Amino acid sequence: MLEDLALPLAVLLFPGGLFALAFGLVLKGADRRVAARLQRRVGPPLLQPFFDLVKLAAKRTMVPDIAFRPVFLAAPIIGTVAMMLAAALVPIAGVYTPDPRLGDMLVLLYLLAVPAVAMMVAGSASGSPFGAIGFSREMVLMLAYEGPLLLVVGAVAVKTGSFSLTGIVAYQQAHGANLLDPVLWPALVAFMAFFPANLGVAPFDIPEAETEVLEGPLLEYSGPALGLFKMMSAVKAVVVVGLGIALFLPTGPEGALGLMVHAAKMLVLVLAGMTLLRTSVGRMRIDQAFAFFLKWPLALAAASFAVALAFA
Amino acid sequence: MNFLGILMRNLAQGPSTEAFPFGEATTPKGLRGRVHFDAAACMGCRLCEQVCAPGAIRFEKKKEGLGFLLWHNSCCFCGLCQHYCPVDAITLSEDWHLAHPESEKFAMVEEGLLPNVACAGCGKETLSIGVNVATLAFQPTAEEMAQLHALCPACRRKAAAAMQAARKDAGTGGQP
Amino acid sequence: MGFMQKIAARSPWLYRINAGSCNGCDVELATTACIPRYDVERLGCQYCGSPRHADIVLITGPLTARVKDKVLRLYEEIPDPKVTVAVGICPISGGVFRESYAVCGPIDKYIPVDVNVPGCPPRPQAILEGIAQAIEIWKTRL
Repeated sequence: MLEDLALPLAVLLFPGGLFALAFGLVLKGADRRVAARLQRRVGPPLLQPFFDLVKLAAKRTMVPDIAFRPVFLAAPIIGTVAMMLAAALVPIAGVYTPDPRLGDMLVLLYLLAVPAVAMMVAGSASGSPFGAIGFSREMVLMLAYEGPLLLVVGAVAVKTGSFSLTGIVAYQQAHGANLLDPVLWPALVAFMAFFPANLGVAPFDIPEAETEVLEGPLLEYSGPALGLFKMMSAVKAVVVVGLGIALFLPTGPEGALGLMVHAAKMLVLVLAGMTLLRTSVGRMRIDQAFAFFLKWPLALAAASFAVALAFA
Repeated sequence: MNFLGILMRNLAQGPSTEAFPFGEATTPKGLRGRVHFDAAACMGCRLCEQVCAPGAIRFEKKKEGLGFLLWHNSCCFCGLCQHYCPVDAITLSEDWHLAHPESEKFAMVEEGLLPNVACAGCGKETLSIGVNVATLAFQPTAEEMAQLHALCPACRRKAAAAMQAARKDAGTGGQP
Repeated sequence: MGFMQKIAARSPWLYRINAGSCNGCDVELATTACIPRYDVERLGCQYCGSPRHADIVLITGPLTARVKDKVLRLYEEIPDPKVTVAVGICPISGGVFRESYAVCGPIDKYIPVDVNVPGCPPRPQAILEGIAQAIEIWKTRL
């Protein structure tokens, strides 16, 4: 009986669902606070994203007349559910191994694309011209960063000899983390470039640019629907960072201590890869971002892939 | 890579945020804030009303005297009234805590009254002379001030002439 | 006031409307947001790019005839509950432009204003004070 419950509990409570949501919001709060300190400001309290969500739940969702209502309301729900499922797919070494019935790497990669598609569809369903601009920019950006992501995953898979996340983690537990392997360093750099683009953080926060397109796809959203989008973004952070850790540095102690070490690794990755970056650079244009991704991250990831293939 | 150094320096130096509204705020000297009107010093020349840029100052001849009214929600805090007042009757303090709820909108006023007095010489209703302008013009002693205070302009001229003659006799030179 | 409302009151989002302002007050509003000295994020506030996300509306400018219809339409787009703050003397009384033919008069003829912050432009600290008063009013409306 307990085995039957294990799968839904994994999706709804730990590590998906509530745990991923809570931890994602804490990561966002830490990111905002540290970004403020880097700019010599005091910054909001750590739990500010929680307050934001509660406030959004208290307001009402207004649906524009010209919006396509079913899709307008369904897009955030689909995005959030997909991310909670994805969070249950990411292994935490020594603490949690995902149930093979959920799927593996391919399902995870597919689910990672769903929030971006949800955002795009939301932008177009809202009927506003700013939403349409956000939709087209999100699509271009996604085309740009999916390539390097697939090559990075491919490089790690070829190096570790397994295309399943549990297999990759097991290989690293036996042979040492991929972080220490020079063959995969270009792939690591490519992943660090993909990471802010996927999470919509400067310099790649183009689709949701506040001052340019009035928040693009999110323009017409308010109340609980907007809250769902914020939840989706928080859980996506947990998933992507978890994926990065699983690919490159999953090794660590077991049990509760392992969970704390994993959380610390996530915090360091967010602060170094996201906060430091977004406080020091401005926003790129969409054509610049597209050209950038088709040059360096793609080349680096391809190099890693080729070398890994050669020495396989 | 210079910006990384700046970011680390920022982290080390800590926030430069002012404590307000959780603490005191710094107010620079000479900040132009809430307007104060000194009715005793005012001589009713109405220069401030003339130069007020948004027309926030109104004088009104009332039964009781000359009324002064300034509405802070129309005042642009330019300080022209303070600059042009010959007797420093209108000054801008450093008080900038002026935010108020909508219900108090028309209570944000500075009012004053120059009261009518009955002239001690001829009994006519008149405004008494402003303290500052009297001091500037006559440099009176306390008794002389009490004399000049409640006189209409015509009687005041006579009293001032008498005062000057008395001073000349007493040997203080006559000219104030 | 319930526990949930107390939590929700810690995240008021600000939205600026320029109703024909000379931009002086808007510069001061930008200062309260962007300068580390007057960090408005401590109060949980953040400037949002969309009127649909707004809780506290900051209006500057004396509602010129040209922009009146657009401002009124924009104001309708902002979901309740919301609190309106008139920043600067222009929205409160017309300011220095009061008797102009192009000015449609004080903003409270058309829009229910809750807090006034006089000044031309008001100090960033005075604006922060006005925002703090607006947050208190907003708590009662949640």
